[in-house]
Amino acid sequence: MTIETITCDEALDLLEPFVDGELPFAQAEPLRSHLQGCRACAGELALAERIRRELRALPQPDCPPEVIERVVRSGRGEVVPFPARRRSGWRVRIAAAAAVLALAVGGGSLFFNLQQRPDRPDPTQVAQATRDARLALAYLDKVTRKAGLGVRDEVLEKRLVIPAARSVSRSLGEFQAPADETRKELR
Amino acid sequence: MLTAFEDTAQRYQRRVYSFARYLLSSREEAEDVTQEVLLRLWRHRQGVDEERLGSWLLRVTRNACYDLLRKRRSETAGLGTRIDDEEREEIASAEPGPQAQAEASDFRRRLLEALADLGEPYKSVVILREVQGLPHREIGEALGIPEATVRVHLHRGRRKLRERLREGVHHDD
Repeated sequence: MTIETITCDEALDLLEPFVDGELPFAQAEPLRSHLQGCRACAGELALAERIRRELRALPQPDCPPEVIERVVRSGRGEVVPFPARRRSGWRVRIAAAAAVLALAVGGGSLFFNLQQRPDRPDPTQVAQATRDARLALAYLDKVTRKAGLGVRDEVLEKRLVIPAARSVSRSLGEFQAPADETRKELR
Repeated sequence: MLTAFEDTAQRYQRRVYSFARYLLSSREEAEDVTQEVLLRLWRHRQGVDEERLGSWLLRVTRNACYDLLRKRRSETAGLGTRIDDEEREEIASAEPGPQAQAEASDFRRRLLEALADLGEPYKSVVILREVQGLPHREIGEALGIPEATVRVHLHRGRRKLRERLREGVHHDD
């Protein structure tokens, strides 16, 4: 019986189904014959077999139990916390946002004062407003962490930092714009 | 009802999590996706057919992973495939030791890199078939493709891995 001969390219096309035992007889026999005489393709077959073996040996890790616990707690109606991520960056942004908010509050009150006294802003009022806002946000941070909640960076920036920065810029438009500087720090 | 859900979550957590982990090459993101998928299961538990639950979970997991990858790409354009180094080392370096084991560990590391870079639809099929050992029929149901197509994708996916790993493999003479 004459077995059809195949080229190396044709042989390489058939390796994976051959390894899986899914190659029809009419194709398997010419491939076997080719592999017996071609060291390069025989090496490729060995590699194909190794890849399948190694893939099947890869572990299937279990999900950390705390993830499942969060889901179950959600099912009970408890708050499901956002997963903790990049904690140090998150804290820095909270602190920076606190400063911007404080400046927005300070800037707002200064704007009001400027209507009556348009000569210069009162530094002590700005400092007090800054302290008040920092305390408020630190408290928010503490409460949310205790509840297992987190505020996403992008939400914080969109809902708090950007509006506050705009407010400060408008309020202190004649002076050096601290909100812009603060935003640069955030970056 | 919550106990039944807890049982279901425990039963399927490994399948969902390990699928997400290999798709994303990131432990952290796989945890996020697993939480999201199981929460979605909780919300839709009345509407999911029990017999198709496995396939449903895999489909939702895959979609969630690719949503995340699209978002990741838009945030890190031009940085290529991201693979968690710790991730790769944890899976690849099962046993440090003599030369042969070091070579085996290196091969596995390169295989994981190649798998991380493998595109769809091959990647999902390779993971579900070779890593998770699911039958072709179930993979087809999960991915919404015929069984014959699953086999074609599987072979093409493994071929792409072989072409990638061809360099640097020492053949015995």
